[in-house]
Amino acid sequence: MSPDAPLLQVADLDVHYGSRRSRTQALHGASLDVFRGETVGIIGETGSGKSTLARAAVGLISVSGGSVTIGGEVVTGFSDRKWRDFRRRGVVQLVFQDPLRSLDPDNTIGASLAEPLILQGRASRSEIADVIRTHLARVRLDEDVLDRLPGELSGGQRQRVAVARALVTGPELVILDEPVSALDSANRVQVLEILADLRASGVALVFISHDLGSVAGITDRVAVLYQGSVVEVDVTDAIVNRPQHDYTRLLVGSAPTLATGSLDRARRDELRSLVGAP
Amino acid sequence: MVRRIARLRSGRLALGILLVVLVLAVFGPALAPFDPLAGTDAALAGPSADHWLGTDYLGRDVLSRILAGSTVSVLGAVQVALIALVVGAVPGILSVYLGRSFEWLSLRLVDTLIALPFLVFAVAVTALLGNGIPQAMFTVGILVSPVFYRVSRAAALTVSRSQYVEAALLSGASIGWVVRKHVWAKVLPPLSIALATTMGAGFVVVSSLTFLGIGVQPPAPTWGGVLASELQYLSYQPWAPLVPTVLIMLTVWAFNLLADAVRDVTGEAGRALTRPVTTPVAPVTQRTA
Repeated sequence: MSPDAPLLQVADLDVHYGSRRSRTQALHGASLDVFRGETVGIIGETGSGKSTLARAAVGLISVSGGSVTIGGEVVTGFSDRKWRDFRRRGVVQLVFQDPLRSLDPDNTIGASLAEPLILQGRASRSEIADVIRTHLARVRLDEDVLDRLPGELSGGQRQRVAVARALVTGPELVILDEPVSALDSANRVQVLEILADLRASGVALVFISHDLGSVAGITDRVAVLYQGSVVEVDVTDAIVNRPQHDYTRLLVGSAPTLATGSLDRARRDELRSLVGAP
Repeated sequence: MVRRIARLRSGRLALGILLVVLVLAVFGPALAPFDPLAGTDAALAGPSADHWLGTDYLGRDVLSRILAGSTVSVLGAVQVALIALVVGAVPGILSVYLGRSFEWLSLRLVDTLIALPFLVFAVAVTALLGNGIPQAMFTVGILVSPVFYRVSRAAALTVSRSQYVEAALLSGASIGWVVRKHVWAKVLPPLSIALATTMGAGFVVVSSLTFLGIGVQPPAPTWGGVLASELQYLSYQPWAPLVPTVLIMLTVWAFNLLADAVRDVTGEAGRALTRPVTTPVAPVTQRTA
């Protein structure tokens, strides 16, 4: 694979949910490239297919059309065994929105963090303990959380544990599905700082959010997802200041945390009616 | 889990009673002071220094018969529970993971088992395999297995769609790993409740089947059998059925108590009840931005 080929390449991805009568299309030919070391935001409203895109990219749901390429390997159509072998290399990791649900309530934090490393089957016990300690420091957690259960930690601590779990295998790409939506503002800032550190260390990040405001400060590029299609991809500055697609304009105008001036209600309604189909 | 159960008073009581029952089952026959099958001239005698619980209508020592019968009674109940566990719980968990055809097939099989009338099935099994305790317990075990199937399937189903299982799969976990590390711990609490209840029920079934003369053939002693023979001589010794009755009741009660204790100590609320209080984690080094 050439050095400037995308690390993650999603091409014309179609995803359907349900069967026969209740069949609905969640992704309509969505395409996205993520290069090494860059941070890409995916924004869109609820139901636009953001999470579907992330889950399809890592093989958690099957796709009905298009392809996903990770690190030069076409992963669409992988068998279960091939996925398993691929995932054990730990190239791509996913961080879920709700850390309480993504950590096993019966396993201690230490056990949850060790799991990906044990599955890789390369490291010894002491090596695993070292790796876990390093990454705990990276997400600013003390070692005494290791013996605790997820239910005994605060929401912010849990999300930092989830981030640490995604990092222990040394991934080249981490996809974060609404990583700060469930957190209060103090914890949000702390997690965003950790992500900024990550970004500086050269890990490629895909940051999924419904809020352009929380994505704008941390991303190099932003992809706008609308009704299952990527309607606009550009550098973050251009998306915020010179949105091309009507839907992007609507999003920029609706973001309360952006300083670019919000739209009044009439203008929003007008844009909403203009957007229609993607 | 045993340690957490033992922290509850009801759990300690249940474990204590069951321990006594277990000791009876293992050492009962050896402890019997007389041959449980040998009759004497003193039929239907009251309690005495020789025969602590008196003798039955053939002059056999009742205490010896109860002690000698405990092994069969307990083994029968355990057998029911084990069969239900293997035939019910294992396919219940696997039905979530082994694909649609296995799921469909096992669900229909369980529906069939639920629809089977107990007596017809019991008679058919007896006709096919003969009359005996293992056959009777096999029948009962098969017939209660749908409960185990449903309970374990329901628990496994909730877990299989959880994000922590997805997170494990994303780290390259196999189905076996997921079941061992994540599903099993969630299936165990409801399953042990079902298990404890079934052991209690199994006890009653063993006792009532032997009471009816199914399974164990006389003169072999069991608790239910002793109860049955004592009941026939109620007018001579009205107190006599009390001992086997209380034994059966206590054991069943202990199993139900254990089931309650298991329910209490599992789950978040249970942990709070039985875990030593931990202080919340102090916030870690805050960075000044």
